[in-house]
Amino acid sequence: MNLLRWQQVLGVIRLEIRKTFFAKRGFWIYLLALAPVGLFLLHTIIEIQLRHMGRTRDASIGQMSFIYAGIFQFFYLRLAIFFGCLGIFMNLFRGEMLDKSLHFYLLTPMRREVLLVGKYLAGLIAASVIFSISTALQLAAVLAQFDSATISHFLYQSHGLSQIASYLGVTILACLGYGSVFLAAGMLFRNPIIPAAVVLVWEAANPVLPSILKKISVIYYLKSLCPVSIPVDPGMPSLLALLVSNAEPVAGYLAVTGLLLLSALILVASMKRVRRLEINYTTE
Amino acid sequence: MAVYKRSYRGYSGALTPAWSRFLVLYRFARRTMFRSRFQTGFFTLCFFFPLLCLLGIYANAHLSAFSFLTKRSGPLLKMDGSFFYIFTSVQCTLAFLLTAFLGPGLVSPDLANGALTLYLCRPLARTEYVLGKLSVLVITLSWITWVPGAVLFFTQSAMEKGWMAANFNLLIGVLVGSFLWILVLSLLSLALSAWVKWRVVAGALLLAVFFMGGGFGNAINAVLQTQQGYLIDIARLISIVEVSFFRDGTPQPFSPLEASLALLAIAGCCLWLLMRKVRPNEVIE
Repeated sequence: MNLLRWQQVLGVIRLEIRKTFFAKRGFWIYLLALAPVGLFLLHTIIEIQLRHMGRTRDASIGQMSFIYAGIFQFFYLRLAIFFGCLGIFMNLFRGEMLDKSLHFYLLTPMRREVLLVGKYLAGLIAASVIFSISTALQLAAVLAQFDSATISHFLYQSHGLSQIASYLGVTILACLGYGSVFLAAGMLFRNPIIPAAVVLVWEAANPVLPSILKKISVIYYLKSLCPVSIPVDPGMPSLLALLVSNAEPVAGYLAVTGLLLLSALILVASMKRVRRLEINYTTE
Repeated sequence: MAVYKRSYRGYSGALTPAWSRFLVLYRFARRTMFRSRFQTGFFTLCFFFPLLCLLGIYANAHLSAFSFLTKRSGPLLKMDGSFFYIFTSVQCTLAFLLTAFLGPGLVSPDLANGALTLYLCRPLARTEYVLGKLSVLVITLSWITWVPGAVLFFTQSAMEKGWMAANFNLLIGVLVGSFLWILVLSLLSLALSAWVKWRVVAGALLLAVFFMGGGFGNAINAVLQTQQGYLIDIARLISIVEVSFFRDGTPQPFSPLEASLALLAIAGCCLWLLMRKVRPNEVIE
């Protein structure tokens, strides 16, 4: 790509970032991202209050990191980031169509692929910033209940720092993966419920899928990168437990490459689609 | 006819009785609803499972005719609470999906295009407008939830003497569970439809509210070591109510009464939100 194209991409990013961060209709995404922060903060306040009253539930830092891993994998990744990306990335094209403003972009002397890349990068920056800050705040809220000695022991001697880095990396990769999926869905489908429901079911069914199909999902790679693995619930019905297989986690570099490859493939397909994109506002 | 003779004249035809005016909205909405081939197809698909269950009941009662298929001496299906629990769960899930397609388009176009005034300038009150829009979902969802449930119940009752008296609580379970589900679903989707201008976004939000409610409820339970998180999990609350009728003795985090009250509170909040939006235009001088 030559310099002009990059300048155009930057121009689109500048315009889109403002819309994504400060849009009134995107307010709920902040709520979504901050909900777990509030929850962990509430827990910390309760723990500190109990300690002041001389009562304690004896939640060790190991237990808390295990609880955090569960919330991160089952709520934050699969639901909060999932729906957050749905809101951000589907809005990039479909939102403009509903606002009847996409033709302004298409009338500019700019290749459509450039527009797509610019919009995707803007969405990725917005989603990554919002959800990474939330992840950092959640971890801070979890650690706030412990004294400084315990925290420094966890950070420097129990691989705490690498865990934090992994969580932040997984958050950004989740935004990257789900972002590409929903950007493509925003161009292919008029109603986001159908792709959202299909992807949600597909991602939820990942543990019971055959190993070849597991690889065609975002959550498979993200789970491999999570620093703490959550075992299968012992209370699960035996028939379901038979079907559920915790797939062998792939190596970190393979997981990152796999996710990047998956996203790149989806983006290339989206680029092909955007070239043939036609606007008919009356059908929206 | 001369133009000056075309002056305004009041409508002199027969009036729709006041009590049933809200059904006019249902009549028109139904036409729009079935104009979409996808929605019509999905609505038809919702009858597949009840039909399968009906065939199962028939086969169960006439087992001797099917004895060549199985060497078992007992009934093919056990007609107990579990059967009706599975039936209600499947149909309620389908009802949820149908609502995600139908619900968001009911109020938002009227508000986005300023058409509410056109409704309210006619002899139709705000409550009747809401009731009319609500009836679209309530009637449509009834066709796929408690109506086939009741048909199954009475079919089974006709096949086996004494079964009805012994299992009457199952019918009540189907009715109560379905009514609560329909009420919460309808009000939630109408409230979202009224507050979110875009129809497609309202549909996605309905999906998010249900899944996020469940997910965040479980997160609350895990972090705070409590069971109060289930109070924001609508699907779990309805399941508690249904289980109390269908599967006695299964331990639950709340009593059915508490779960029903929580569901009614959610429905009340949705109604309040809806009524706040459904207002005629004010003339500011």
